[in-house]
Amino acid sequence: MKTGDMGVKTTTLEKALEWGRSNSLWPLTMGLACCAIEMMATQAADVDVARFGSEIFRNSPRQSDLMIVAGTTTKRMAPRLKRIYEEMPYPKYVIAMGVCVIQGGPYVDGYSVVLGVDKVVPVDVYVPGCPPSPQALTYGLITLQKKIRNETDR
Amino acid sequence: MYKIISEETDKSGMKVLNIDKSDLIELMEDYKDRKYFLSSITGVDMKDHIDVIYHLHNFDKNDYICVKVSTTDEKVPSITKLWKAAIVDEREQYDLMGITFEGHDNLRRILLPDDWVGHPLRKDYDLNKVQYVSVDRDGNEHVSFDDKEGW
Amino acid sequence: MSHWIELNIGPVHPATHGIYRFRVKLNEETVEDVDITIGYLHRNAEKICELNYFVNNTIYFDRMDYIDAMNMEVGYLRAVETLIDMEVPERAQWIRMIMAELSRIAARMVGIGALGLDVGMLTPFFHTFHEREKIQKIFVEASGGRQEVNYMSIGGVYQDFNDKIIEEIKEFIAGFKGKLEEMVKMFTDSEIFWQRNVGTGVLEPDIALDYGVTGPMLRASGIPYDVRKDSPYLFYDKVNFDVPIARTKDNMGRFLVKVEELRQSVRIIEQCLAKLPEGPYFNPKAKKSAMLLLKGQGDVFTRVESESGEFGVFIRGDGGVKPYRVHARSPSFKNLAVVPIMTKGSLIADLIITIASVDAVAGEVDR
Ligand code: SF4
Repeated sequence: MKTGDMGVKTTTLEKALEWGRSNSLWPLTMGLACCAIEMMATQAADVDVARFGSEIFRNSPRQSDLMIVAGTTTKRMAPRLKRIYEEMPYPKYVIAMGVCVIQGGPYVDGYSVVLGVDKVVPVDVYVPGCPPSPQALTYGLITLQKKIRNETDR
Repeated sequence: MYKIISEETDKSGMKVLNIDKSDLIELMEDYKDRKYFLSSITGVDMKDHIDVIYHLHNFDKNDYICVKVSTTDEKVPSITKLWKAAIVDEREQYDLMGITFEGHDNLRRILLPDDWVGHPLRKDYDLNKVQYVSVDRDGNEHVSFDDKEGW
Repeated sequence: MSHWIELNIGPVHPATHGIYRFRVKLNEETVEDVDITIGYLHRNAEKICELNYFVNNTIYFDRMDYIDAMNMEVGYLRAVETLIDMEVPERAQWIRMIMAELSRIAARMVGIGALGLDVGMLTPFFHTFHEREKIQKIFVEASGGRQEVNYMSIGGVYQDFNDKIIEEIKEFIAGFKGKLEEMVKMFTDSEIFWQRNVGTGVLEPDIALDYGVTGPMLRASGIPYDVRKDSPYLFYDKVNFDVPIARTKDNMGRFLVKVEELRQSVRIIEQCLAKLPEGPYFNPKAKKSAMLLLKGQGDVFTRVESESGEFGVFIRGDGGVKPYRVHARSPSFKNLAVVPIMTKGSLIADLIITIASVDAVAGEVDR
């Protein structure tokens, strides 16, 4: 009788939580510059990030757990960005989208761009590109989901 | 009556009037009466002096002209009384180029925080001196050279 | 008795369309004054342009009005080519024109979709972005980039049109005509859309001229000014198109002008495709090895009609291989400055819809 195939699967609570979290990431609309348009395209019909449970772009930091920093972060914007990050509830994740946010991108020579948003907030996944295509952002999202579930690519 | 120092045509076929700073308001008033509107203001740092370049546009005649003044003491009279478009343009040039427009009611920085040091589009602006911006609880911005105080 | 409130909108807020901060002084629900803070996206493009060769600066112009990259490139290159006396072959000019109009359509798709979002209509957003995606496919085919394309370079374009691209454009145009009417119907069939747009955000023509407003906003105030018509560049004088105006001066007028311009863009592209001649697609004087040695001396100021208005570029060259000073007269910068006048005395809900219909692009406002 006790063969174990009773339609019940045992797991730890943590695993279940991670699974739930990773499949319902609600991103915050942190569209700052050009990359924001590609972020909108990710949300739109052709790419449709809803397939991965992230269709609800929230406008309030208190309702979201993923911040997609899309676009150049200037020195003037950085304190505000940090504050919005601090307003998000735990557990929270950050995706840096675009080379501007990764290390300054085309504006690396200038005076008013933060050279890498990781100096301001901790970043989980970097998505390079200028701007990254919606497919790249989706891949970044999947990578983040794997990271949350503690899976590694093998 | 204003005096035009020299008149030329630039590469794009536009008429350029070089005038003295003291004649600026008078000339602009004249062109305003002739239904010209302000299109843009540009400042150019020539190291020993600053050129201020005004582009005016007449919609009826479809005519563009360019008025150039040069200043050695970074001051030119403001033309905000004539055209409202000058309000944001003069603030921008003040911010980035450090030209003081005399008579502008609200000459604050527009793109950079209020206490940013230096005017970035000047040729002697040092790009290696990094400035950081922080915001206190009341929402006021502070600028410092110390990266510990930034954000 | 009045009840004063000061309301802060932004910098990150879905209604601001970019990162600006609006500090609104409210008397109950009536807007008394709007104070706009900009500069959160100031990326010092003008300074960086001084450090680079003429040919390298196209990418910074791409990223100014980032939804309308092709028109920005046309604007910059028109100035540079005048400065360094570079001829552009005919075929390249026609190609540029097709791309500029496609880009204008793509930009409007973002603007109209976002306008829908602001009145609470989610559906048009998906349709407009689907059309935009098709244009971006054409851009990828031609340049490799989806949005910030960097397709044009001094003296021509990066790559010639092949039959596949032309076929794709024809296919897109054929489909787009019907689709556009369908999308517009979505808006105009909605009672809410009418109620929120008619009579709000009125901009009188004399105020518009005084503030230097251009583009669809000026045309919606009744002044038929379009750079493409009034001082033609490329081959805009060889194609037929109309400049629409609206007499209502309100948000609805602006929306209808934008839509009519889309129809005109389609018309232009069709004529361009019919007239596209054979020939070289770049000037051999501007081949890759010579590109960095191009020198310019003197001042130029040229203008093009971008998606949001008259985009002017001022360049001063000192005879070197790098520009001495680059300045962009950005239309959105001027258009945004008039928002306080347009919304004075209106309801706070009308402010939101007016901001959406002004459709300023942050990258171009702050540069
Ligand atoms: S990475 Fe490129 S596309 Fe993205 S914000 Fe920066 S400049 Fe714009």
